[in-house]
Amino acid sequence: MRRLWLPAGFVALIVLIAAAAPLLPLMDPVRQDVANRLVAYLPGSPMGRDEFGRDVMSRLIWGARSSLAVAFASAAIAAVIGTALGLLGGWFRGLAEVLAIRGADVVLCFPPVLLALLVVTLLGPGTGTLILVLSVLYLPGFIRVSFAEVLSARSQDYVEAVRALGARTPRILLRTVLPNIAGPVLVQVSLAVASAVVLESGLSFLGLGVVPPTPSWGLMIRGARATMEQAPMLLLWPCLALTATILAMNLLCDAVRDVADKRGGGGAPKLRLVDRLLPGLFPAPAAPRPLLDVQGLTVEIAVPGGIIRPVEDMSFRLDTGRTLAIVGESGSGKSMAATAIMGLLPPAARVADGVARFDGEDLLRMPEAARRKLRGGAMAMVFQDPMSSLNPVHRVGDQVAEAIRAHRDVPAAKASAEAVGLLKRVGIADPDRRARAYPHELSGGMRQRVMIAMAIANKPRLLIADEPTTALDVTVQAAILDLLADLRREEGMGLVLITHSLGVVAEVAEDVVVMYAAQVVERGPVSQVFANPLHPYTRALLAAVPDGDIEPEGIPGVVPRPDRWPPGCRFAPRCTFATEACETPPPLEEVQGQAVRCVRWRELRA
Amino acid sequence: MSEPLVVAERVEMTFAPRGIFALGKPVRAVAGVDATVARGEALGVVGESGSGKSTLGRVLLGLLAATGGAVRFDGMVLPKPGSAAWRALRARMGIVFQDPFGSLDARRTIGAQVEDGLAIHTSLSAAERRAQLTEMFVRVGLDPQRLDAYPHEFSGGQRQRLGIARALATNPDFLVADEPVSALDVSIQAQVVKLLAELRRDLGLAMLFISHDLPVVRHLCDRVIVMYLGRVMEEGPVAEVFARPLHPYTRALLSATPMLDPARRLTREILPGEPPSPSDPPSGCVFRTRCRHVRPECAETVPPLREFGSLAHRVACIRADEIN
Repeated sequence: MRRLWLPAGFVALIVLIAAAAPLLPLMDPVRQDVANRLVAYLPGSPMGRDEFGRDVMSRLIWGARSSLAVAFASAAIAAVIGTALGLLGGWFRGLAEVLAIRGADVVLCFPPVLLALLVVTLLGPGTGTLILVLSVLYLPGFIRVSFAEVLSARSQDYVEAVRALGARTPRILLRTVLPNIAGPVLVQVSLAVASAVVLESGLSFLGLGVVPPTPSWGLMIRGARATMEQAPMLLLWPCLALTATILAMNLLCDAVRDVADKRGGGGAPKLRLVDRLLPGLFPAPAAPRPLLDVQGLTVEIAVPGGIIRPVEDMSFRLDTGRTLAIVGESGSGKSMAATAIMGLLPPAARVADGVARFDGEDLLRMPEAARRKLRGGAMAMVFQDPMSSLNPVHRVGDQVAEAIRAHRDVPAAKASAEAVGLLKRVGIADPDRRARAYPHELSGGMRQRVMIAMAIANKPRLLIADEPTTALDVTVQAAILDLLADLRREEGMGLVLITHSLGVVAEVAEDVVVMYAAQVVERGPVSQVFANPLHPYTRALLAAVPDGDIEPEGIPGVVPRPDRWPPGCRFAPRCTFATEACETPPPLEEVQGQAVRCVRWRELRA
Repeated sequence: MSEPLVVAERVEMTFAPRGIFALGKPVRAVAGVDATVARGEALGVVGESGSGKSTLGRVLLGLLAATGGAVRFDGMVLPKPGSAAWRALRARMGIVFQDPFGSLDARRTIGAQVEDGLAIHTSLSAAERRAQLTEMFVRVGLDPQRLDAYPHEFSGGQRQRLGIARALATNPDFLVADEPVSALDVSIQAQVVKLLAELRRDLGLAMLFISHDLPVVRHLCDRVIVMYLGRVMEEGPVAEVFARPLHPYTRALLSATPMLDPARRLTREILPGEPPSPSDPPSGCVFRTRCRHVRPECAETVPPLREFGSLAHRVACIRADEIN
């Protein structure tokens, strides 16, 4: 709300001054006094006099009345009629759409000045004519904006929901659709008011608008132009007034839109930053050297309220040819950890602590150039949404070839041939033809296969797959998981699989890291952890999976936000076994190849 | 015995390309589906993207007017969408959506949104509506103190509870839940499934539960229909279908579902190729292009759903006898 005060106060001030013009102790704005023409200052005329000796300040304030009246009236008329037409056109489509949209297109075809000339010729100049011309000119903008917004709003579930409740069309349009298109319409209003002030001035300047001697900012500029060399200040005052008014209007409309938006502006980016984390740590093992050895990885993000840690003290190791799964709910930090290891953290986040040794070299402290060489080469990543990771305007074969050529110096023709071979390798039927397809021509499963083809193009030793099958159907998921397992076996890759599906973990991974609220809470071989979970969270998670004959049990509550983590065990508020001892942070303890972060694990195991 | 609450007979739903320059063929999302939902019964509809399960849900609700066949609700043919009779019927049916974010209007308070149905269909005073609202909030496990909050203040699971409260505010007989837990974390999923099961029992709701998650359907539903490319492949009591899948597609689907318990895992059957386009479905059995039991005669006629083994278990496969 505070954002609103300043611009609103400023606009209110301008409007108030203009409205109060008759009450203010101002000189008559049309009284001429040729003796004092063009003087820069007179007592009672702080801004001086114009070319007819009229008081400039008085004309400026009285001029605001006509300028602003024209601007507000025309923007308001255009907004009401245009939004209504856009709403109807977008909602009913068909004839309403044709009339609204084609009508708007016809108006857009007229050059504005020509239209103004035409109307002025027909109706004679004057404020009323000006309002009419300007409303017609701004109409198409409102129709277009509201039409486009309605089209996108009407396909939303919440609109379908009120329709399913049996609401009448006017109720749907006014209560549900209109508030949701209000943001862009308000922006359009601010633009229309601002440009109406300018256009009013322009048209009045040309003699098509407000009729002299009535003052208006446009007429003042017009008059001042003739005497620019003798009295340049005369030009400055109306221009300043114009600029200040327009800026204030724009600020106000922006602020109104933000305040009217109940979606919680601050929430969304915070959630995204918050996102996820990765797991545990161990004393560095002797031999053999693991493919990936992560120790004490901590990621920090500076947010307005302080620093949050979406990944805290995470450690794990992965050997060549093995699969490690990282599981956890949304917000546990699992994806953030993976992006940190790949060196792909968003700009707001930074690695605060820890090491991630890939073949002995610390990825986290490597110069970016060296890391870039590794990415897509010796280590690669596959993301959840293949559509947004593939470039929609290039053929998929070219994109795979590009991935090859980014790391190896091979001729284009050879890279293309290799790309076709890779597409075949990942199980795409008819790879020659598919290589020439664009991403949108492929199904979700095929796009994910293309992403995998790109990732394995340079025979990586480490593949990090972030929810690679979450967006896919189960039969397609099964095929992709099989493909990853084959690749891992045949190419000897190490695979880090980030997922929220415990079923997937059980089927494809050998080791698992369970994360909760940025920390590793349990880690160990999948068979051991799933058969004998030590941490209450792991137990609860397993019990929530609908599998077998036992009724699945949910976990009460939700994962706390990163700025509200409990001081002790972070799972304690949702844990059925929590006691006073849980108020101090539990350490990660190792037991027979398994690691657990719970003070009560010994008693609970019994 | 009286007729089931919802009866769909040979329902078809074809989407024609629209506009003057419309290109492409019409898409037949639902092709001749028979389905019934008895009072108090939960029918699961499973299938993958493009199987037509969501479209079927909307046709049964009357939100889409079927382009073929007929849907009867409580003995009467569904009226034309938008008509007064249709609007009145809205009070007796509800829908819960998949996306807990997109299905609530971010710019209105949750109280106002859950109240919509009451405001439209009843002449209750604002105070009476509030009282009912409070009761409904308690029923779905939400804090009635927060009626005036906006959706962004709630988590995904809570929003899904709100969606359920909105759908149930007018005390409907029939609820369509379209993938209501697919977007939720597993720990939250179980809470919402449990809530739906309780509400169904307490309110005697008939429910169509659309999902691609077979284990959830197994826990929540009495019967299930398995759809592929707009047609029903198999239908029967959940325990039957899951224990003894008859159709090759149902088996592939079950074998692809990741299981925690290694003992329960079936041998993976990977379906070859890609699902055909719904605008150009294969002749005869729509599944034949990916079926490992395919025979030339599968291309000839559309296999009818017929009873197999027990009375309620039906399958649309001409080779069901040989392969089972």
